[in-house]
Amino acid sequence: MSGVPLAHQRSPAPITDYGLLSDTRTATLVGADGGIDWLCVPRFDGDPLFGRLVGGPAAGAFRVGPAAPAPVVERRYRRHSATLETTWTVDGARLTLTEAMVAELDGRLLPTTLLVRRLSAQGGPVDAVVEFDPRLGARHRRPRVHHRGRDLVCEWGSLAVSLGCAPNLTVEPGTPTALTVTPGDPVTIVLAIAHREPLVHVEPAAAWDLLVADEDRWRRWAADIDVSLPFRESVVRSLLTLRLLTYSPSQAPVAAPTTSLPEDPGGVRNWDYRYVWPRDASISVNAFLGVGKLDEANGFLAWLLHASRLQRPRLPALLTLDGRHVPRERELPGWRGYLDSVPVRVGNAAAEQHQLDGYGWVVDAAWVLVQAGHPLNSEMWRAVRGFADLVARRWPEPDAGIWEVREPVQHVHSTLMGWLAVDRALRIADTHRLSERQRRRWQRARDAIATDVRLRGFDPSQASYVRGYGSSELDAALLVLPLLGVDDPGSARVRGTVDAIRDRLSAGGPLLYRYPPGRDGLPGSEGAFLPCSFWLVQALAHTGRRAEAVELFRELLGRANSLGLYGEEVDPATGAFLGNYPQTLTHAALIQAALAIRDAPSADEGARE
Amino acid sequence: MDWAGWALFGIVATAALTASMITAQMVGLTRLDLPLVLGTIVTEDPDRARVAGFFMHLAAGQGFALGYAAVFAVLHRATWWIGALLGALHVAIALTVLLPLLPGVHPRMASHRSGPASTAVLEPPGLFGLNYGVQTPAVTAVVHVIYGVVLGLLLQAR
Repeated sequence: MSGVPLAHQRSPAPITDYGLLSDTRTATLVGADGGIDWLCVPRFDGDPLFGRLVGGPAAGAFRVGPAAPAPVVERRYRRHSATLETTWTVDGARLTLTEAMVAELDGRLLPTTLLVRRLSAQGGPVDAVVEFDPRLGARHRRPRVHHRGRDLVCEWGSLAVSLGCAPNLTVEPGTPTALTVTPGDPVTIVLAIAHREPLVHVEPAAAWDLLVADEDRWRRWAADIDVSLPFRESVVRSLLTLRLLTYSPSQAPVAAPTTSLPEDPGGVRNWDYRYVWPRDASISVNAFLGVGKLDEANGFLAWLLHASRLQRPRLPALLTLDGRHVPRERELPGWRGYLDSVPVRVGNAAAEQHQLDGYGWVVDAAWVLVQAGHPLNSEMWRAVRGFADLVARRWPEPDAGIWEVREPVQHVHSTLMGWLAVDRALRIADTHRLSERQRRRWQRARDAIATDVRLRGFDPSQASYVRGYGSSELDAALLVLPLLGVDDPGSARVRGTVDAIRDRLSAGGPLLYRYPPGRDGLPGSEGAFLPCSFWLVQALAHTGRRAEAVELFRELLGRANSLGLYGEEVDPATGAFLGNYPQTLTHAALIQAALAIRDAPSADEGARE
Repeated sequence: MDWAGWALFGIVATAALTASMITAQMVGLTRLDLPLVLGTIVTEDPDRARVAGFFMHLAAGQGFALGYAAVFAVLHRATWWIGALLGALHVAIALTVLLPLLPGVHPRMASHRSGPASTAVLEPPGLFGLNYGVQTPAVTAVVHVIYGVVLGLLLQAR
């Protein structure tokens, strides 16, 4: 076994190196060395089975790849699919790892979680390795191990994992297994997971067929997407990513499949994103509707309004995948963190916050659905009315805002989004039943918010709206201003705000900070916030500056990793991704930016790939 | 058996159960909406589903009342506490067997195995209906005990 790299000898890969595999119920992150360093079971927010990404080698990993470190010559998703292909060169030959999770079970007797990985060689035999070391949960529990037939079975009470290989390989947890892959004789490895149900054995050859069928299904899904989209290839990848991050049993989009990837490497800005933010879900409604994916858009909104029912009319800042209260935030002792960024957290304390902007996003999503010719049913309309009533009552109160700051203030962005909530509710009321009294109350609130925010949220000396009442700082969230309608998109206020943010929050090139760095009461710094850059594209497209929008969008596409994936933030100096990854909000913002470019009137650009 | 009592009081008990459940739902104790869950078996429109589901639930309640009446007849006793015990048994079966099995037969309910092709819109209830709120098992238990108590008080043991 000499020469075989053990997990603890591998240094942590840059976040940018990771690819996403998902079955729309849970997801894995795979490094460029073929190592799965993150997988939670049985769903996105479950216990980590492979947690090396933030837990170090003791948290387990599953690597399949070349025996010795080898350069990657190609890494890509197979076109319009969720199948990842990584090719290395080894001594003049090539070794390719093709892998995916099977998403569609179609009522067949299959494991709920099924991961298929196939190694194939070209140009000569290649030495490879399988390193399988599953550890469950916060304490990295080792499994009870036994063999059933040719399969390795690992058990932890109600959870069981089986590993099967063809041709047969004897794999032991924690011990690297060397093999030689010869051209024409691929090695297929199948990981099946059962939680509170019996394990289902799948022959590797049959599992491969399932992968191929799933791949065809994703291609058909992608084929339905509007062909007139600018930058269609990138947008399709973002849509696929968005769908892969949507938990199919409830249609809820998870913000990211990871916890505690740091916004500040070595620092404390490490949060658990394996939950659902209504804001992300609402932006996703717009994104899916804009490309003609009505089922997905409907599913998101229906789930959202159903999930928030228990706390209505309050809209929770975030929810679990099935609409429950997010667990209390706690730290995992002994987890070393990505690049020693501790603590590693599970749960999220932001669940208790009051975030006024959330109401605006959600009611706007409902309005977009109505505009597209889909009236709200009585239950949805009741929920929207409740949200608008709450905003009309509580808009002058301080809130944590979109950036979830610890000390509530009256954020200008939140106040504007409150205006949006009431305005869009009134527009929906044009075609839905509403009492005159309620209508008048909303109209009064809408006028009062507009007057107040124009007076107290705008700084004439900067010709820009600002971050909070009484503040002189800028806030990149205000880039949504041209979309709202509170001021005319061509007005000096809107143009001044867009220009001021672009100028003063610039992080270099197409990148923006979300607010002046470090001004959030937390220790450490952070990188440029990618969704803000896509909002700038959108703002430019909406204010008649389509050519600038297209140029900026092109630059931003260059900031994706080689697989077309984005994180939440990027280090302006190195281009490295920061924060949890891949990020639903960034991909949804990318899609919206592309839609804004598509819809912006212009004769001078033909921005097609 | 008390056929006349069954015909009348089965509806009364089911109406009491349904009203209690809707009240609990309205005050934010649970997201379990039984008329909606049942009605979406036959129609996608939530508003129509609630109407259809209400009548389906009445019919189901009437069916279960038959079992209660039969037990009372066998025991030669019909008291509120025997009704409550039967209600407890009834809800135990509903939460541990009927609700978890529902995704297998409901055309518009997702299951924990749903994939991207699923256009189902109702989320699966999960064990004890916990996906519809942590208080769902308690609420469901209380309303079924009410159902049993009503039948125990109103049905005759013959």
